[in-house]
Amino acid sequence: MSEVQTVENMVSITIDGVDYKAKEGEYILNAARANDIFIPAICYLTRCSPTLACRLCLVEADGKQVYSCNAKVKEGMEITVSTPDILAERRAMMEVYDVNHPLQCGVCDQSGECELQNYTLELGVDSQSYTIQDTKREATNWSSVLHYDPGLCIVCERCTTVCKDMIGDAAIKTTKRGGEALDKAWKDEMPKDAYAMWNKLQKSVIAPSNGTEHTNCSDCGECVAVCPVGALVSRDFVYTSNAWDLKKIPATCAHCSSGCQIYYETKPASIEDRTEKIFRVTNEWNYVSLCGAGRFGYDFENRTATKDATTFAAAVKAFKKAKVINFNSVITNEEALMLQTLKEKLGVKLINREARAFQRFLGFYSEASGQSLYSLDFKEVMATDFVMSVGSSLRNDNPNARYAFNNVQKLNKGAGLYFHPVGDTLVPTFGKNIEMFAHKVGHEEAALLFIIKLFADQDKLPSSVKEQLDSDFVELLGGDTAKFEKSFEKMMKKKESFSLMVGEDLYFHEKAENLAKLIAVLEASSEVKVAMIPPKTNSLGVALICDLDDEAEGYTIGYNESGDFKLSALGDGDLDMPAMNQQEGTLTNMHKRVTPTNAALEYNGYVLNDIVREVASAPKETIMWTEHLPVSKGFKAVEFDSLPNHYTNDGVEHRGYLLESTSVEVEEISVDKFDDSNALEGEIAYRCNPQRQFNDFSDKAHQIFEGFGLYTSPAKAEALSSKVEVEFANGKLTLDVIVDERMEGDIVAIPDFKSAENIYELFAGSRYQTVTIKEV
Amino acid sequence: MDATHLPEVTAAGVIIKAVLILAVIAAIAGFGTYIERKILAFMQRRYGPQHVGPYGLLQLVADGIKLFTKEDIIPQHANKIIFAVAPVITAATAFIALAAVPVFPDFTIPFIDVYVPSIASDINIGILFVLGMMAAGLYGPLLAGMAQANKWGIIGSARTAIQFLSYEVVTGLSILAPIMMVGSLSFVDFNDYQADGTWLVVYQPVAFILFLIAGFAETNRTPFDLLEHEAEIISGYVTEYSGMRWGLFFIGEYANMITIGVIASVVFLGGYNDFWIFPGWLMIIGKIAFSFFFMLWVRAAWPHVRPDQLMWLCWKVLMPLAVVNVVITGIVIMLVQ
Amino acid sequence: MSLEQFKNRNVGTQNYKTLDLDHTPVTGMGQFKQVVSRTFKPELFVGLWVTFREMINALFRGKMHTTQYPFEKLPISPRYRAIHDMLRLLESGHYRCIGCGLCEKICISNCITMDTQYDENQRKEVSEYTINFGRCIFCGYCAEVCPELAIVHGPRYETASEQRASFSLFEDMLTPIDQLNLQQEYQGFGAISPNADENIKKTPLAY
Ligand code: SF4
Ligand code: SF4
Ligand code: SF4
Ligand code: SF4
Ligand code: SF4
Ligand code: FES
Repeated sequence: MSEVQTVENMVSITIDGVDYKAKEGEYILNAARANDIFIPAICYLTRCSPTLACRLCLVEADGKQVYSCNAKVKEGMEITVSTPDILAERRAMMEVYDVNHPLQCGVCDQSGECELQNYTLELGVDSQSYTIQDTKREATNWSSVLHYDPGLCIVCERCTTVCKDMIGDAAIKTTKRGGEALDKAWKDEMPKDAYAMWNKLQKSVIAPSNGTEHTNCSDCGECVAVCPVGALVSRDFVYTSNAWDLKKIPATCAHCSSGCQIYYETKPASIEDRTEKIFRVTNEWNYVSLCGAGRFGYDFENRTATKDATTFAAAVKAFKKAKVINFNSVITNEEALMLQTLKEKLGVKLINREARAFQRFLGFYSEASGQSLYSLDFKEVMATDFVMSVGSSLRNDNPNARYAFNNVQKLNKGAGLYFHPVGDTLVPTFGKNIEMFAHKVGHEEAALLFIIKLFADQDKLPSSVKEQLDSDFVELLGGDTAKFEKSFEKMMKKKESFSLMVGEDLYFHEKAENLAKLIAVLEASSEVKVAMIPPKTNSLGVALICDLDDEAEGYTIGYNESGDFKLSALGDGDLDMPAMNQQEGTLTNMHKRVTPTNAALEYNGYVLNDIVREVASAPKETIMWTEHLPVSKGFKAVEFDSLPNHYTNDGVEHRGYLLESTSVEVEEISVDKFDDSNALEGEIAYRCNPQRQFNDFSDKAHQIFEGFGLYTSPAKAEALSSKVEVEFANGKLTLDVIVDERMEGDIVAIPDFKSAENIYELFAGSRYQTVTIKEV
Repeated sequence: MDATHLPEVTAAGVIIKAVLILAVIAAIAGFGTYIERKILAFMQRRYGPQHVGPYGLLQLVADGIKLFTKEDIIPQHANKIIFAVAPVITAATAFIALAAVPVFPDFTIPFIDVYVPSIASDINIGILFVLGMMAAGLYGPLLAGMAQANKWGIIGSARTAIQFLSYEVVTGLSILAPIMMVGSLSFVDFNDYQADGTWLVVYQPVAFILFLIAGFAETNRTPFDLLEHEAEIISGYVTEYSGMRWGLFFIGEYANMITIGVIASVVFLGGYNDFWIFPGWLMIIGKIAFSFFFMLWVRAAWPHVRPDQLMWLCWKVLMPLAVVNVVITGIVIMLVQ
Repeated sequence: MSLEQFKNRNVGTQNYKTLDLDHTPVTGMGQFKQVVSRTFKPELFVGLWVTFREMINALFRGKMHTTQYPFEKLPISPRYRAIHDMLRLLESGHYRCIGCGLCEKICISNCITMDTQYDENQRKEVSEYTINFGRCIFCGYCAEVCPELAIVHGPRYETASEQRASFSLFEDMLTPIDQLNLQQEYQGFGAISPNADENIKKTPLAY
């Protein structure tokens, strides 16, 4: 948690006569949870707004009945969790939930971890007093991953809440059930809140909010995760396993740099095949939200690997003569350290394009700001009330950045500025106070200067910046100056904390150094703090650990990338490597946190450590490298096995450790002059993956359906045929045109998740390229 | 029957008789197991063997094949020679004892004209010989138990020693009274003594009972089968035996049962004299069969005794009774003469 | 034996006979008397008579006690726990198992495994079910926990076979569909107790 628990912002409360401390302004429910006190509650989600759907969290505070998920603690507050009245209410509510609830726990997927089961037992419901005619409700599939059984739904609205407040899609909403009206007689007979709850429950079910039968959302599956009952289940998982049969393996998602906490849940595949298989991925949904790749893209393991001594010998030979190792960011810190060791001992060159770009950018930033790492992590971003984003396609690049942007709008009554050349229809819907600038490619510096102009204290600015601030940036960035001034005034109301997220566009920018300096200037002269989105899974770790090279020639070893000798966790190389769900190690995520991940599935082949032991020297196990990660870069010398991986009841993240960041004094920064004629013109392609694709591994998973093609806005697609040839300066591609409903404008997106397509080469060190698109 | 009226006893006749006894008794011993199993089963309302051959009759063939073909195991630490010899002693002594016992009436084989006597060797101290031989049979279990390097075997042999030796006394004393009356040790004389139809048991009921009881002990039959009492000492002196060696003990035991039956019939129950319309050979077979049956019957009905009870019975009850019986018989004979 | 007898667990009212045993004599005279009385009592002959009488009964009065086992079998108690049967619904013939996995969970020797899936009727289908009889201890927990009385212990106690696997699959245990009419309701471990009706509360229904 971002806020420091100082004595000043703590208040004293008593719960059931015992004194506790709680954070000021916190909801009673959260305060109780932080102190390990149990208050029944179903509908509340920790990082979302209270909906008051279940009313179970009723408590007595200072003699009044309040909903603990919605009432804030006050100094000296006396709270009683259960009074006879409240107990009667709660029992009545649980009875109401059980009215017409199908007695099918025996087959239900949620059985064993079902909150309806739990609370029914907890509150001792052993008889039913209420009754009403049931309504026929048919199970449907909302999307390629979502299965909704309204018969089981208790309309707690957790799914709609998380979709709106956290994910931002707001793809589902409550709708009319068309059930029998409640008999008014109940009103006098039953407890008040229970009646009110029932009245609402009886009228509603959940449905896609676009009015069709299908959600057309980002298929993140977070609604499935939060559903307390078996109403929402992933289509792939329905009726395949009971919760208690699955072994939970705490891990870190390996698809993007968010590094989310996940559990791989495994059990033997079937009666014939007793090898462990991942049946689903779950998460601590109160504290972390996954994206669709994390939740559904889990079966990318390397199944075919065996210990074949000949290929291993060939690999060792290849390493001995290698001049270059070409790898990407889907790699653990330990492996990165191994490669760095090889560089030091054998003098090979290390190539990792995305991590190198990020490393350079981070280097420029550190040089200018004196800080070894960027200031904010993304949890802190979520706690601010004004958030901005430059240089990142928020919807596609990094789910957690996007969730943060959305959550700020929803929960902190926040405001946001979104700068990106590729227009987006979703981002503006996150909140009322969002301004979007679809600026020209190449005008990123202008965006930063504009932010400086808006937020910086003019006196603190270096002269090289100050002199550039006169232009009308709104106009330049494609906005309407007059309109913006009005709305900006509104946006700034009651705002206290400001954050800026920057993304990959800037790292691959030809003026990257200048951009980094501008960011440093912004931080030095204003209250805006910056968070950076590392381009790929462990780019931050690799950038810190490895000494990467820009160019290299000679015999190349590719690790999940092309090369003369290929190590591959995909099973298509010369020597097999374990995939991320088959190995132990740590990853450095965008929250500047080094998190442990564990092997969920068995792996029978060789690992990188075996090779390193042969060609240089290495300890027995990969995880013995963990304690040797470079302390000078902020890592800690701790053993892998001592790294925790969980959250506590107060929401504090105990996963690995946070990187130390250091700061030194720096001299005044001098920036280059911004040249607005540098903008890219013509047909522009953008290197950007679809929402649930990040790399070859997400692509391998059977529940990720997004294909490799040319993504365009609906309008642009009209102008193109279904298959096109895209010609770059140094090559061409033939791609299917895929419409992304939420894209706007003429820029087309070409994914890079298939390493075999060598997309980075085509884009030649930038994220944007002018291309020619021809029909085929 | 006057011996002088009989044809001469030739060596060929004796050999034939010996082979006959060996074959028939061995076969009967085998058959005895079948009878025993059947009788015991009936008395417990079971069927007993019934699947091999008609009425399970071929069971004994099956068992025989099994015994013959079983692996012959000699324990590692056993004294191998004695271990091998012991069962032979038991079987041999049992059969040797039968040499002096009249088993069937005499007959002449037609055509070759060989006379086969009723007794292989009618020595005039027949009874003494038989008792002596049976007593010598004690070496079988004794050596077997001691040679097999097994604690249950040792206990078995210790019990052999005390049980057989003690009851030898009772057997001897109990049979002494009839001997005094008949004045001979020859079985033929005993038979002839009762030719008038009055069985000796009428004069010597106490001696008869004592002899029977001792006979159970001597043949190691329930309720006195302490030598191999499986509930206490696994299988006693035969614990380590298997296959044909074990079979020899078995044959010896059954042969002894027949011997005891023969002695009891000849000494106390009128021998092979004709009785009413029944010829002598039928009578003796009937008597032996009954005494055999009686042994089985007892086994079905009565429980084991403890070793201390056995000794108590021998030395405190049976032996004094036998002595008293001898003394009284002596006095009566004196008075009558 | 009828079920009633099995259900009558009140063993306290059974008619036991107590033996009238003498006390062991302690005085010399007492012991002497005991010896004399034992010697002359015809008890031994009673024993002989009893066995003889039973032999007569067996041979001539048809009171032979033997069950000729492989050809003749005694009925076993419904509480007996032998190789499992999977029952079917009498009305539809569909297997009763709903795939809830409770048996799998409770199984003390971890020998039940099942595969389930979503079928075309939107129901949970048990695609395969197996018990490893090499490990099953016939504790009956699975039968007891089963909410559907789907898995029960059947009367097949002859479990010797070349491979135990030969009766451990779903089809092996499931009542053959053509013998549905012969399917017996299970009375043993985990069956509904006779007073089940008294123990449940009724749910009001709107229709
Ligand atoms: S949702 Fe919960 S209570 Fe309802 S059937 Fe499923 S497990 Fe049972
Ligand atoms: S689907 Fe689940 S989460 Fe959504 S309202 Fe229904 S019960 Fe709640
Ligand atoms: S899958 Fe994600 S985006 Fe789609 S409805 Fe569920 S929570 Fe919303
Ligand atoms: S009887 Fe017991 S051990 Fe056997 S399958 Fe059932 S629960 Fe498992
Ligand atoms: S407990 Fe019964 S219904 Fe449930 S899976 Fe086992 S056999 Fe099937
Ligand atoms: S948790 Fe507070 S109303 Fe549901």
